[in-house]
Amino acid sequence: MPSQGAGAGGIGPGGPRAPWVLLAVVILAFVMLAVAGGPLALRTERPYPSRPLGLEPEPALLPPPPIDDEYFPCEDCHEEESADPKVRELDEHDNIELAHGDLWCLDCHDADQRDLLHLSDASPVEMAESWRLCTRCHAKKIPDWRAGVHGKRTGHWRGPKEYWTCVVCHDPHSPLFKPLEPRPPPKRASEIQLRIYGEQEETSDEEP
Amino acid sequence: MKNPERGARGASRREFLKTAGAGLGAVAGVPGAAQGFDLESFFQRHFRELTQEDLDDLLLRLEQKYSKQYRKPVQVGAIGPNDGVVFGYGLDISRCIGCRRCVYACIEENNQSRDPEIHWIRVLEYEREHAVRSIDPDEGNPFYDHDLVPAEGKLYLPVACQQCENPPCVAACPTQATWQEPDGIVVIDYDWCIGCRYCMAACPYGARHFNWREPEIPAEEINPDTHIIGNRPRPHGVVEKCTFCIQRTRKGRYPACVEACPVGARKFGNLLDPESEIRYLLEHKRTFALKAELATNPRFFYFYG
Ligand code: HEC
Ligand code: HEC
Ligand code: HEC
Ligand code: HEC
Repeated sequence: MPSQGAGAGGIGPGGPRAPWVLLAVVILAFVMLAVAGGPLALRTERPYPSRPLGLEPEPALLPPPPIDDEYFPCEDCHEEESADPKVRELDEHDNIELAHGDLWCLDCHDADQRDLLHLSDASPVEMAESWRLCTRCHAKKIPDWRAGVHGKRTGHWRGPKEYWTCVVCHDPHSPLFKPLEPRPPPKRASEIQLRIYGEQEETSDEEP
Repeated sequence: MKNPERGARGASRREFLKTAGAGLGAVAGVPGAAQGFDLESFFQRHFRELTQEDLDDLLLRLEQKYSKQYRKPVQVGAIGPNDGVVFGYGLDISRCIGCRRCVYACIEENNQSRDPEIHWIRVLEYEREHAVRSIDPDEGNPFYDHDLVPAEGKLYLPVACQQCENPPCVAACPTQATWQEPDGIVVIDYDWCIGCRYCMAACPYGARHFNWREPEIPAEEINPDTHIIGNRPRPHGVVEKCTFCIQRTRKGRYPACVEACPVGARKFGNLLDPESEIRYLLEHKRTFALKAELATNPRFFYFYG
């Protein structure tokens, strides 16, 4: 049952974009429950035929969390042909801090169809399949990712698993992994011994 | 008493207890020494000598005990090793950021005592410059406490049981209460462990931990999916350690620490399967084992991704 991995998986709280990740996992779990063991459908309609990953069997991809309604669909604001290709300070989207090589927005976002991303040959890529965009410039990472060695897979080492796609961990706008607050350190042996012997008279004749 | 007759190993355990009691004052937590004497578990056969019927009885008895103690249904399974599987683990130290998400996922999954605290995974912190030359698990600092990790210039090395191919802990055990399963997992029969802690002294990785007191786990935090030689609640006076999440991995699932790691540094799979991620990283990455000079041959590999 594929729902086991995502549902029961201990995806650490407070991870990168943790609330989003959790939300995505919950949504994914629902999707998987809905298809009841059938092939995992991440999106029902696909305007473009998706290229297979080249893996047998085709793995389930853990997509990034859906983009906030406030910004999606982008075309609510970006009507066709309104794009300005100049690199500049934007009046909008000030939540985005671009720190990704020396890329500019339209290297990734499609100027004419703003809901989409694009590859170097201008062929479109859906937002939810953004890992295809990453392969364009980071092809060297892909074999490791396919093998489950870069990035992460959850679920079953033998059986159904989900591949985490790149932007679940990397913010495409500033892809360096963000520092996290660590969970508490272990207690020192002396503190633990105090818990063991401090209040238990009957064992205090035994030296730790 | 269902099973009063004793096997050869039973006799040797009794012998050992006698000498140990006389010679070694430090044997703490001998079952019955500190707590009420539990005849039934004292006379129980060694796990590997149990008949199917004995095992079923034992599992049922434990399930009833734990379900009562924790006021919810607790399952105690005994799923065996899978044919053609030897587990291996990989940890990418170029990715680990020392966040300790794995430590706590492990505690919750494996019912480790919250008080007194037991952590099967210790994350050690090193100066990056020193660590490049050699990483000695005896030297790292597990107590680091920063607002954010990774801290500048530091490197992190999580250490738990290395599931050695030649486990010195197994050789050190006087009662054969710990052994290596065919899938490579080194396990402990908590009913046979007498708490002498020879195995802890023998382990070069500090990976074994002793229950100095009755472990405390809040009932609402108990993981009810348990394994008899894995994460079932332990009694006072026994040694415990990582089992590669035997209760999960023998059902094909990833260990809890693998799923908890936010940077994806933890890898797990079947060493006998050429398509597995563990084989991929052994073939494509620079790997090393801790204290390789001891020839314990860990099945836990550190690598640079
Ligand atoms: C609320 C309206 C709004 C929405 C929704 C919106 N944008 Fe924009 N966006 C703007 C405005 C206004 C500008 C122009 C700012 C300027 O010229 O200073 C802009 C500029 C941009 C630019 C810079 C290049 C250009 O066309 O001038 C990119 C790239 C961009 N938006 C991408 C997106 C994407 C991708 C989405 C959907 C995920 C999106 N936007 C959704 C309002 C919006
Ligand atoms: C490296 C490629 C890349 C570049 C450069 C880039 N984006 Fe994006 N952007 C993406 C991807 C991929 C997503 C989808 C992320 C997701 O699914 O979570 C995205 C999402 C967005 C979104 C919606 C989600 C959000 O984070 O708010 C907006 C708006 C957006 N980009 C605007 C911009 C603007 C404006 C620029 C330039 C300042 C820019 N992007 C530069 C790849 C890029
Ligand atoms: C158009 C090319 C291009 C695309 C598309 C692209 N990147 Fe990059 N990426 C770069 C460049 C250039 C750098 C900077 C490399 C350097 O500094 O050595 C970079 C750096 C990175 C880094 C390292 C960050 C750092 O500061 O060292 C990560 C992580 C990364 N990209 C992830 C992604 C992800 C995830 C995607 C897909 C959403 C993506 N990239 C898409 C060109 C690209
Ligand atoms: C489980 C989270 C995770 C996923 C999923 C993931 N990465 Fe990374 N990636 C990391 C971490 C952690 C680093 C270490 C560097 C850092 O601090 O950002 C990294 C580093 C990188 C780098 C910088 C070079 C390096 O090796 O340090 C690139 C480029 C990169 N990733 C690309 C990708 C691409 C492309 C994908 C999708 C195919 C992807 N990553 C998926 C966590 C992830």
